Amino acid sequence: MEALASLMQGFEVALTPTNLLFVFIGVTLGQLIGALPGIGPAAGMALLLPVTFGLEPVTALVMLSGIMYGGMYGGTLTSVLVNVPGEAASVMTAVDGHQLAKQGRAGAALSISAIGSFLAGISAVTALVFLTPILSEFALSFSAPEYFLLALLGITATASMGTGSPIKAMIGACLGLMVALIGTDPIQGTSRLTFDSLELLEGIDFLPVAIGIFGIAEILVSMEQSQHVEPIKTRLRDMWLTAKDWKDCRMAVLRGGTIGFFIGLMPGAGPTVAALLAYVVEKKASKHPEKFGHGALDGVAAAESANNSAAHGALVPMLALGIPGSASTAVLLAALVLLGIRPGPQLLTEQSDLVWGLIASMFIGNIMLLIMNLPMAPLFASVLRIPYDYLVPGILLISLVGAYATSLSMFNVGLTLLFGMIGYWMIRADIPRAPLVLAVVLAQLMETSLRQSLMLSEGSMSIFVQRPLSAVLVLLVIASLALPAFNVVMGRRAARRARLVSGTTD
Amino acid sequence: MKTVDIVTALLMIALSAVVMLGTRHLEYWSEFAPGSAFAPFWVGAVGAFLGALLLVTTLRRDQHEPHGFPGRHGFGRVVGVTAGLWLMVVAVPFLGFIASGIAFSLFLLLLVEKRPLVPSLTTTAIAVGIVYGVFVAWLGISLPQGMLGI
Repeated sequence: MEALASLMQGFEVALTPTNLLFVFIGVTLGQLIGALPGIGPAAGMALLLPVTFGLEPVTALVMLSGIMYGGMYGGTLTSVLVNVPGEAASVMTAVDGHQLAKQGRAGAALSISAIGSFLAGISAVTALVFLTPILSEFALSFSAPEYFLLALLGITATASMGTGSPIKAMIGACLGLMVALIGTDPIQGTSRLTFDSLELLEGIDFLPVAIGIFGIAEILVSMEQSQHVEPIKTRLRDMWLTAKDWKDCRMAVLRGGTIGFFIGLMPGAGPTVAALLAYVVEKKASKHPEKFGHGALDGVAAAESANNSAAHGALVPMLALGIPGSASTAVLLAALVLLGIRPGPQLLTEQSDLVWGLIASMFIGNIMLLIMNLPMAPLFASVLRIPYDYLVPGILLISLVGAYATSLSMFNVGLTLLFGMIGYWMIRADIPRAPLVLAVVLAQLMETSLRQSLMLSEGSMSIFVQRPLSAVLVLLVIASLALPAFNVVMGRRAARRARLVSGTTD
Repeated sequence: MKTVDIVTALLMIALSAVVMLGTRHLEYWSEFAPGSAFAPFWVGAVGAFLGALLLVTTLRRDQHEPHGFPGRHGFGRVVGVTAGLWLMVVAVPFLGFIASGIAFSLFLLLLVEKRPLVPSLTTTAIAVGIVYGVFVAWLGISLPQGMLGI
């Protein structure tokens, strides 16, 4: 009941004209950014972070979070109409959504995506309302060892549970830690790895890293070839779902939303993994699994419900513990720090208006997105006709000005370009970038809590297993590191068994 | 992809060495608590281990997957954009942000993307207008003006 009372207070904050306007701006920008291939929601949030400097903290956060979940809705447009996922979490939507579009059912695919995303999003925010205070109160009992292990778990889980090679993901995380080491020791104040450079004495800001690694790098990848898209036309009257469509998809929305929320809670897994898992589960549960890959509306419903639900679920650890579980929530956390707010379990008590205002704004934002995506989907689809080449100069200029605006220094602009080149290499070498950004955000918390823990224990590592909670966290860290190795061993065994069977039958 | 992974592994090992050597003059442990070199040492050690692990697993790999880098034409476009961006950064102290931005935008649209002149000029005007409107006029950020005073 206390949570509901706080939520009502949050609505009072979110329903002010200024905050309503910025929720609208955020979800619209998120929708556009999600729809445009070449730049994802995390990059969009990083690019627009400097714009929030002059805003109230709650206004800044409602806009940035609007971009985050708005991107999930927007990614559907290009997936269905062009067969190019607007962002990674819409990959599974493209598989069946575009097939439906070719069969003249683009409107149904877009409709079920919007409705599924809305229902799953609202449910996820409702779960967030009750889960965040419980987790936050529990986390108030954390001390330095638990904080270190939680931050470490955030990084190792992101590396092991994300897509791609775990070794490369850990390399990305290690690079992020190295970047964060540059500057001044947070405890003793000595300079580290500055190579006598005055600019590096203050360390490397989060923004040049985020804008470079996400924004500039993704633009460089998109510049490899001239983008020419011809979206399939869709009309307003095609957006109507039949009763049969709804009957076929309602369980898919429920399953997808539930899977997405729990995946979103786990650091590292995120909307992309959620959409993939929900699609696979739905295919197993469907009465017509043969349709998957050839235009299964319930496949689209499951994937889209899952990705939006996961985007909201990822906010639970961020708000309750101060541990981001994805690149987008890492940018949100960085925004909190830049706005002078200390993230962590005490956030809910010290900044209750901010947190509950943010949560309430997500209800409002999802309603706005449903309205935008049902009748206005053909309008947003027309944006896809703008040749991408004409958008690139504006995006790059905004990136560089944003990087300059953080400290009014051209050195930061140069750093942004350098990280852009590093991010390009990472994309092309299949090195996940989210662990790097997460590590940059979590590094200071990790180092200070580790050193404080060892100071308290006079150098003894036993402090990390003294309390049951920290012992459990140690086991989880070990499990997250062992999981990829376990998967490799099981994969090799399965391959060996398959070779033996095929050798026997030949 | 094998070559790319080997280069990545070697770069990681080299960076780890830089981190460890660059902080060797600092205290690893001071009285009863870790010193300034504690974190860099362990981050460097883990980085070197991961680099070596990637190198070993890559060299032992049988499969030859194609690398993800584009062909000559595509890579040329990427190099062109990157070079343009660096030139812009170098030009800003002399020409100012707005003028350098205009030059970069026209370079990108006309020379790299080979778009027609009139739409390129229109796009440049809109892009620079948005940058000026949002960052200078609304947020009041003072961008470098250079010799041209704009």
